[in-house]
Amino acid sequence: MKKMITIALAGNPNTGKTTIFNSMTGSHQKVGNYAGVTVEKREGRCRYRGYDLHIYDLPGIYSLTAYSMDEVVARDFIIEEKPDVVIDVIDATNIARNLYLCLQFQELNVPVVAALNLNDEALAQGIDIDEKMLAEIIKIPVVKTVGINGKGISGLLDQVIDLVQKKERATYTISYGDELEEDVQAIITELVKDKDFALRYPLRWCAIRLIEKDARVRELIGEHASRDSVVRVVEARLTRIEEHFGREASLVVAEQRYGYIHGAVSEAVLHAPVNKETFTEVLDKVLLDRTVGLPVFIFILWAVFQMTFQLSVYPMLWIEAFFGWIGSLSIAFIPEGMLRSLVVDGVIAGVGGVLSFIPLIVFLFMFISILEDTGYMARAAFIMDKFLHIFGLHGQSFLPMILGFGCSVPAVMAARTLKNTRDRIITVMVTPFMSCGAKLPVYMLLAGAFFVGNSGNVVLSIYVIGVFLALLSSLFFRKTILRGDSTPFVMELPPYRMPTLKGILWHVREKTFRYLKKAGLVLLPASILIWAVTTFPRPVLDKAEVIQIEENVQVVKKQEALSQSYAGQLGRMMEPVLLPIGFDWKIGIAAITGFAAKEMVVSTLGVLYSVDADEDEKNDTLRDALRRDPHFSPLVAYVLMLFMLIVVPCFASMAAIYAEIGGRWLCFSVVFWLVLAWGVCFVVYQAGRIFGL
Amino acid sequence: MTILDLQQGDRFKVKAVRIPREVGKRLADMGFVKGAEGRVVRSALLGDPLQIKICRYDVSIRRAEAAGVEVELSAVKREGVV
Ligand SMILES: Nc1nc2c(ncn2[C@@H]2O[C@H](COP(=O)(O)OP(=O)(O)O)[C@@H](O)[C@H]2O)c(=O)[nH]1
Repeated sequence: MKKMITIALAGNPNTGKTTIFNSMTGSHQKVGNYAGVTVEKREGRCRYRGYDLHIYDLPGIYSLTAYSMDEVVARDFIIEEKPDVVIDVIDATNIARNLYLCLQFQELNVPVVAALNLNDEALAQGIDIDEKMLAEIIKIPVVKTVGINGKGISGLLDQVIDLVQKKERATYTISYGDELEEDVQAIITELVKDKDFALRYPLRWCAIRLIEKDARVRELIGEHASRDSVVRVVEARLTRIEEHFGREASLVVAEQRYGYIHGAVSEAVLHAPVNKETFTEVLDKVLLDRTVGLPVFIFILWAVFQMTFQLSVYPMLWIEAFFGWIGSLSIAFIPEGMLRSLVVDGVIAGVGGVLSFIPLIVFLFMFISILEDTGYMARAAFIMDKFLHIFGLHGQSFLPMILGFGCSVPAVMAARTLKNTRDRIITVMVTPFMSCGAKLPVYMLLAGAFFVGNSGNVVLSIYVIGVFLALLSSLFFRKTILRGDSTPFVMELPPYRMPTLKGILWHVREKTFRYLKKAGLVLLPASILIWAVTTFPRPVLDKAEVIQIEENVQVVKKQEALSQSYAGQLGRMMEPVLLPIGFDWKIGIAAITGFAAKEMVVSTLGVLYSVDADEDEKNDTLRDALRRDPHFSPLVAYVLMLFMLIVVPCFASMAAIYAEIGGRWLCFSVVFWLVLAWGVCFVVYQAGRIFGL
Repeated sequence: MTILDLQQGDRFKVKAVRIPREVGKRLADMGFVKGAEGRVVRSALLGDPLQIKICRYDVSIRRAEAAGVEVELSAVKREGVV
């Protein structure tokens, strides 16, 4: 007897899949990605009646077409990994649409158990389901469950084990009506001629998919020994169907499937006549109201933004202080030299940098998952869609873009809610144009030094330019390299629900670990690299020289070291490129260190201008020093601000971007940001000079 | 007549989806099939997208897609109530 059972947990979004998964597996789970795509792969284990259950949580989907990455992932998993059982979680308040997916699993020829979840809500709505009869009709075991209190879960697992223990399994699939069945049979007859193919894939499913014009299954036919005759038969049948029914064959299949479902549902389910408005309908009247809806949305956004950044301030300071303390400990215990510098300025600064973002991520994802679990997130996308669509973006792009004003790292991570790859890539590429919090000190320094009395407006103008650049670039991408049909906005507006604390903590935990793993892998090596290029080669300083300059020895040493380091050399090397946009090598170095973290630009300028800018009161001195430099002018300062706005975001953001859109698109984005930054700065600087600024 | 010709609150019955390929298929998968009954709940601020109740749930579609869903007005026409 087989003691290990693999279970795939599937279902429509918002049916309580995750809740059931968590209650089955407890903390025995791990999260990864499906190979090559940014779809989360969650697996967990539990023991039940002596069986070792391996449970895979598939992404929430509506159908098994190749419409989204999620759907492809789910069906590839079932075809390739061949789980012993699929548990399809069904929303009992909306059986018809949920069964549509369930029956497709049945067609894939895997054993299916249906969990009628949200049964408490169904009861409250007066929906009376005869699950025995339903199971009888669709030939799938059906168990009523309530995810939030675990009711019915063990009954569900009993059914799973029963199904696995059964020696013989009757294969049953629904009928698509005499007409269509003839076509299905004709295609199967062709397909079955290749024995290997017949062993690898469920033929009936392939035949139906071919009638539905599924591109991926058509590709599969390439593996078939007599592919040409298969293709011929399929084409002939498609022509017949479309002539006969007068519409696309794929729609006919959907119709027949729904027709069957409505038959089954009308027999097994009794819907009480609804004569009062549901809670969701009442709330929608306010939240989606044409006049009140937008202000409420803006207020919620503002509140999330404020709370996230306000609540994170102190924890972030504690983490930074903690690493400062570790740093000073290291200074005490490690003798002066290369090793100490590596540990303190490279490793500890790097790890501290990674970890100091955690409070932001924790709070942000806490609020996001509250908005998601209540069902408001879909409404927000509904409200924003039209405006963003004008610029080729998607209703769901609003969240990453708004968050970008705080910090690009969580902003980029939030882009994951966009299911379409093209939308996600565009959103991620333009999100850094929303000036993040770390860029503000740089703006403040420069505006304070060169635009006295007008600094607020100048900084605001940079923010506004950023928003315009984001919208215009996404329009540009949509019209050029990322063209194609704009993604249709067919999005469910799920009923409002009270989120559970447990559910939210799960989300937060998961997001935080994901960030730590991804960012840690990239950020630590990167910060060591930055440390290396700003430290090596070591400056050759005359002892006498140092002693001569009695004051500010530290600062002078730092300045010398920086200008002789690789970063300094690079700055000098880049002068031919930098001069046309008004920068000298010093500004060049500052910009390079900005790749590590934007606030570092300020401290680098501090070192270069021989003032210690770490202390606030001395910021004035840095301003004076900048003002005294003949190379600097208000025009140069403004161009530098623009440059900081557009150029490559910090390493932490790049790590997040890498995780979301992959290495190739990251490289493309880097080139895009650099070219755009240089281009904009060149135009502004040269124009400014012509006007004699 | 398509969904675009309907008023807020109108109930309808789907006659055909006239959108080619994937998008039409997606609508069909989500319940927009011949004979399905639905209601126009509301539109967003600038008239787009639309909130449609179909198959006992709410879905949001853009006007571009709504224009491809051919419908007929249902007999009972009541504002507000499902
Ligand atoms: N009333 C009720 N709420 C549930 C039930 N199962 C899940 N939920 C809630 O439904 C929402 C969506 O659940 P989730 O597990 O995230 O759904 P998923 O998108 O399918 O993974 C959450 O707020 C859950 O707390 C249930 O049986 N009854």
